[in-house]
Amino acid sequence: MSEKKQQVSRRQFLNYTLTGVGGFMAAGMLAPMVRFAIDPVLQPAAQGNYQAVAQLDEITNEPQRFDWTMDQVDGWYESTVTKSAWVYRNDNDEIIALSPVCKHLGCFVSWAGSEDYPDQFFCPCHDGRYFKDGENVPGTPPAAPLDEYEFKTEEGTLYLGKAKPKGGVI
Amino acid sequence: MKKGKGMKFVGDSRITAEKVRFIPKDYSEYPGKTEAFWPNFLLKEWLAGSVFLVGFLCLVLAHPAPLEGPADPTDAAYLPLPDWYFLFLYQLLKYKFASAQYFVIGALVMPGLAFGGLMLAPFLDKGKGRRPNKRPISVSLMLLGIIAVFWLTWEAASHVDWEAKAEENRPIPPGSTVEIDTEDPGYAVYENNCLSCHGGQLEGVAGPALIGMEYSVEEIKQIAVEGIGDMPPGQFNGTEEELQQLAEFIVATNEQAAEDH
Amino acid sequence: MLQKIYDWVDERVDITPLWRDIADHEVPEHVNPAHNFSAFVYCFGGLTFFVTVIQILSGMFLTMYYVPDIENAWRSVYYLQTQVAHGQIVRGMHHWGASVVIVMLFLHTLRVFFQGAYKKPRELNWIVGVLIFFIMLGLGLTGYLLPWDNKAYFATVVTLEIAEGIPYIGEMTKTLLAGHPEIVGAQTLTRFFAIHVFFLPAALFALMAVHFILIRKQGISGPM
Repeated sequence: MSEKKQQVSRRQFLNYTLTGVGGFMAAGMLAPMVRFAIDPVLQPAAQGNYQAVAQLDEITNEPQRFDWTMDQVDGWYESTVTKSAWVYRNDNDEIIALSPVCKHLGCFVSWAGSEDYPDQFFCPCHDGRYFKDGENVPGTPPAAPLDEYEFKTEEGTLYLGKAKPKGGVI
Repeated sequence: MKKGKGMKFVGDSRITAEKVRFIPKDYSEYPGKTEAFWPNFLLKEWLAGSVFLVGFLCLVLAHPAPLEGPADPTDAAYLPLPDWYFLFLYQLLKYKFASAQYFVIGALVMPGLAFGGLMLAPFLDKGKGRRPNKRPISVSLMLLGIIAVFWLTWEAASHVDWEAKAEENRPIPPGSTVEIDTEDPGYAVYENNCLSCHGGQLEGVAGPALIGMEYSVEEIKQIAVEGIGDMPPGQFNGTEEELQQLAEFIVATNEQAAEDH
Repeated sequence: MLQKIYDWVDERVDITPLWRDIADHEVPEHVNPAHNFSAFVYCFGGLTFFVTVIQILSGMFLTMYYVPDIENAWRSVYYLQTQVAHGQIVRGMHHWGASVVIVMLFLHTLRVFFQGAYKKPRELNWIVGVLIFFIMLGLGLTGYLLPWDNKAYFATVVTLEIAEGIPYIGEMTKTLLAGHPEIVGAQTLTRFFAIHVFFLPAALFALMAVHFILIRKQGISGPM
């Protein structure tokens, strides 16, 4: 021991070492567990697989409902789910594929679902309405336009991807 | 207890060998009518607990825990509701100042301020006085909070037709389909009037399932004509005889389902 | 006989002081409903603890039949409620207990608040108490999903949508809770089960221990 004033006392040194060893033990125990728990967050975001939905020549200016099924994998649980979309060509001959899920509380809307509004999407649950382009009719319960599906066309077939919110609120 | 030399231990342990005789504590030095926790006060607490338990068990016996049908993510007509003690938060998010682009205010800022304030109350309200009239600000804020929570809960709950909701969501085990007698004259009537909403197997589609009901023939006739809950009136179009056949068919199918089960 | 067993253990372990400390502590007049009926407000905390005990016991027994799996969760609940003797009652106790515990906690919190009992030196115990309140709400939220009926499923979807709406960390929070970025399904149920049955109760026990130790150390707040 030098004559100099000690920078770290024996007790301090032991305390630091104890903290260090304790920290090592805690980290060694918990590191695998934490990684285990947060695994879903670190999974790469699933790219919306495009699913064949309809033939292009089936699509008219009038919205039609197309249903398709897709395999859904939820961890170890695989199931088949049915999805649907309202598809039409707008005045510029562009394809529009709208999600049928009402933005109010998630009921299913249908085109001309109410005799009083033949040119609108109608939600039977709370009389929510949307214009043909998916915009919500002001004054009805929904607060946002219908989601729109991403799509691509290949060899005369329409493929739909994920439904994305159209502008407005996230 | 003696200290230092002369202490005796049990074997080589640290338990002292000399036992101090237990002398009941004297509470006369405390103010008022102070008493021992055990057994004097605990007995009173347990008496109160027994009364409480009887009330609680009566509640449990009188109201079986509700269970709805198995989760069906495709059930698009379902109106989602949280448990009652979250209704006030759920209701808050319905208001214009707390939804859409202000969602963060409703979901984070307002509850955060309220609960954060509650948690830090001892540091926000540092005065010495304990009586409510000595600390008007914290007490009035608390009263305001309570009124807001009660009011929001009430607003959320009063818009829900709880009985109709429970009726529409009776638990029916999946796979327990009933054999439907399609030869029954009532089935033809059912096909024309009810099938589109209640399904080909009476399993329910847009409307609820018709299996597992306890309605009588007369009640079903009335519901078919006048509607119930979300079901609008005038769904049935036909003669009185057809109505009778329809109701009898539904009741018979239900009786059969009850037997099978 | 019992006395002999007690003496035998006490000679070796000296257990008397452990329970004597709890048994002999003085209960002042102002909290004793026998002397002053309005003191029943001091019962709310004890009753909260009582319901918590009911919850722990009934929950432990429910797991004898319950399985946290989306194929079977609902069936197991339906089975234990309709087929098992007293299943209706045990599940009823757990279901209604969840509500009653919130009510009792609320009343207990109000008692402490309006009496100003959280003031110095009891600030820490107030904070621990509020944390217990949060844990109870979390237990209610996660327990609601477990029967996997429509009500449970859709309420959880809404909850997770709200979590997703938090800026920056919303999607992460949602995925962490649900176990999948989009699906509320098998992984959500097992996660909620683990949180409801292990994580939150562990936190609850620790906080309750601190709560009670602090009460014993500081004593109950004096009369107003």
